[in-house]
Amino acid sequence: MSITLPTYSRLEIPLLGRRQRVWAIIATGLRKELRRPAAIVVMALGAAFTTITSIAILFIATIIPSGQAPNLTFFAGPASNFFVLFFVSLMASVIGAGLIADDLQSMAFTLYLSRPITQLDYLLAKAAILAPLVAMVTILPLLLAALVAAFLGFFSWTIALEAMGISIVVGGLLTLFYTAITLFLSSLSRRKGIAGAGVFAVNFGLTIPAEVLTIVIGNRSILYLSPWDNYVAVATAAFGASSTGIDWAVALAILLGVTVLAALVTYVRMKAVEVITG
Amino acid sequence: MLVETAGLTKVFGEVRAVDDLTVKIPDGAIGLVGPNGAGKTTFLRLLLSLLRPTAGTAKVLGRDIEDGLAVRERIGYMPEHDCLIPDMTGVGLVSYMGRVSGLDRDTAMSRSHDVLQFVGVEEERYRKVAEYSTGMKQKVKLAQAMVHDPQLYIFDEPTTGLDPRGRSEMLDLVGTIAKSPGRNVILSSHLLPDVETICKYIVILDGGHQIAAGELSQLLSGGTDRLRIDVRGDRDAFARLLKDAGFDADAGPSGLHVSRKPGLEAAVFETAKSLGAEVRYMGKEIRSLEELFLELVARTEKPGA
Amino acid sequence: MNGVVEAVGVSKWYGEVLGLNAFTASFGKGITGLVGPNGAGKSTLFKLLIGQLHSDQGKITLLGENPWNNVPLKRRLGYCPEQNQLYGWLTGQQFVETLLRLDGMPAAESRKEATAALKVVGLSSAAHRPTRGYSRGMRQRAKLAQALAHHPEILILDEPLSGADPAGRVHILRTISEFAKDGGHVLMSTHVLYEIERVTNNIVLIHNGKAIASGNIHAIRALIDTHPHAVRIETSKPRQLAQALARMEHLVSFEFPAADTLLVRTRKPDAFYRELPQIVSDTKLDVRGLESPDDSLDAVFRYLVG
Repeated sequence: MSITLPTYSRLEIPLLGRRQRVWAIIATGLRKELRRPAAIVVMALGAAFTTITSIAILFIATIIPSGQAPNLTFFAGPASNFFVLFFVSLMASVIGAGLIADDLQSMAFTLYLSRPITQLDYLLAKAAILAPLVAMVTILPLLLAALVAAFLGFFSWTIALEAMGISIVVGGLLTLFYTAITLFLSSLSRRKGIAGAGVFAVNFGLTIPAEVLTIVIGNRSILYLSPWDNYVAVATAAFGASSTGIDWAVALAILLGVTVLAALVTYVRMKAVEVITG
Repeated sequence: MLVETAGLTKVFGEVRAVDDLTVKIPDGAIGLVGPNGAGKTTFLRLLLSLLRPTAGTAKVLGRDIEDGLAVRERIGYMPEHDCLIPDMTGVGLVSYMGRVSGLDRDTAMSRSHDVLQFVGVEEERYRKVAEYSTGMKQKVKLAQAMVHDPQLYIFDEPTTGLDPRGRSEMLDLVGTIAKSPGRNVILSSHLLPDVETICKYIVILDGGHQIAAGELSQLLSGGTDRLRIDVRGDRDAFARLLKDAGFDADAGPSGLHVSRKPGLEAAVFETAKSLGAEVRYMGKEIRSLEELFLELVARTEKPGA
Repeated sequence: MNGVVEAVGVSKWYGEVLGLNAFTASFGKGITGLVGPNGAGKSTLFKLLIGQLHSDQGKITLLGENPWNNVPLKRRLGYCPEQNQLYGWLTGQQFVETLLRLDGMPAAESRKEATAALKVVGLSSAAHRPTRGYSRGMRQRAKLAQALAHHPEILILDEPLSGADPAGRVHILRTISEFAKDGGHVLMSTHVLYEIERVTNNIVLIHNGKAIASGNIHAIRALIDTHPHAVRIETSKPRQLAQALARMEHLVSFEFPAADTLLVRTRKPDAFYRELPQIVSDTKLDVRGLESPDDSLDAVFRYLVG
């Protein structure tokens, strides 16, 4: 016979390594997003809408007689699909904006930091939650469009596969950019609303004025101000289509530079945040 | 040694929050006390390796704080402020924190239920943290510090905002942990009687310096051998009669204070009988941690003031 | 019936949530401690007393007057809310001064009174710093200063000690005691029972929106006869002492927890303490120590609230 009362109990097994700890944050974070109605709606709508429009753009390009045989350049169309911009903004603000801001608001950030992980681990985990979800509108539609087009026989499989490869690279670039920017904005304030508004401001506040000004003034270098136009320049160049008027190499440098800068600033801020809340 | 520091310094701008601190803190239940701005929180964050020292070194459980991961694997931290993720359930949050500490999923879940049971969070554990009362939140904060079974617990004001019942429950839990073999506690609190009941060893900080440290019993002894007597009745007459009988008695706000001499106790009851007074308390006069604290802090303030 | 606070059947509901429920009590001369679990209704009571809330039922008076819509009464009271948010951009001096101006005091006078009040609470050295940089204990003292500055007759303090460091606590308690010594009344709530006991024996115990006990703490303790009063006596001959004490009729039990200790339980503590000196000095037994582990607010709270 024995009696066991609830008491202070001991842990008998050793702790797992750092990779599993980071993975726990990612898995829990992803699961949480996949259960949130707002996030699901945005993701489903975003993925569906961008995919359908991308396929439509590709389809229209092939039936309009352009005197060209279907080739890789046709894919520049879906890659610069404006709906991607819209949904990436929506997704970043609905899902990404709260990733760090919520932890600052609830001060759960202290809890994370009191665990055996580093600030960098925390940031990488948060990035790893956001990136795959953003990729659902930046990479997935391009892949599906290429797949569908190849199945329907518009393109040869060689071209389609090549297009998918390029899509992963340019879509990946856009994904990284938005992940870094969103996390940066999210780390700035305790209110996720501000971060969410910031994402829209960065996108439309820069893209639309830049495009309008370009038309009014006629100087295309203003487009370097717009992340979206930079991305489009890189994407069209990657697919070998005719230039949009700005140099793709400069555009690429700007995108990468901003991405790295945003990531760095976020990291430095996270290191300092504990001191501020103390 | 639980904590060993040498010249530990942390400077924020112009504030020397921790200033050339050299301490040796033994294993066991440690009380960390000091006025606001004494550097307690900074000191604790340095121990957790969340801040990098401006100068000096520190070892926690024999490990250098440079090695933050190894140190934090062995520490359970209960912050003073709210820190729980509001849209998670109690059990979900605690097991999540266990996983972030390196437990596998099943172990984390099993331990989460164990520690929530231990702290007394029953079926509420399936509800969202946002709906919890203050007392319940404090218990979950304690549970998340326990889930990975650390060797060192750091409690920062664990009873803040709790009502009397919540306070005594929380103190019981902290006391139970402090008594577990191989488990150490650093309790930082403004409520000195709480520190007195839990801790055996006290470190007093002020202005980033250690102004006193040692076994509680030793720090508090050294007072004169006096008796405190709580009298109900004519207190002044009581003191006068004792003085007449040759005892050195004076009446203070908390009762009579009398130097101990043979025959004192008998004289006290004799006096009570003759005056028709009641003796409600009689015992050795013990200095409280608060008296010691105020005395030490006042002493260090004088040169600067 | 002339307590500073008179409440008869006062109820206050927040929708379905209980604030006070047929609260009836009379108290408030000198310092009175209000104790009770979280959500018992202490803050609701305070807000009714300062006229911030209107009771749904019953009658409540402060200093003999109905607090609702009673501006002159507000000049006679000083209130410290529980919240620790101040106007962070104001300095301590400006904060107190501004509130004094709201009271209708001329500028020059309010400057003088604010300086004096901040001195009383020990904040003079920080008076010209913005309050956003104040620690929690300093905020408590700034709140106390604004409650004191217009020389009210009664202070109503909601958790005035929470967050303060030991030196701050002592200072706040001393300020409160001195205010009461000068003839003022103080109502304060706290969760830290031993701190109430240091300044007063008068308490009101609130639970589930009702006053379940009010008055002198020792008298209340004596009324709880389901829990006999324990007295621990340190003596070299515990069994002989027990024999000598056994003729007291109100004793319930003896225990010998250690070789030099006798634990007595009695139903009538007053009688016990009255008779004890006689017995001890008659029998010449050596009694070295005497204490009652459960004659405290903490014990009363435990027995009544559970």
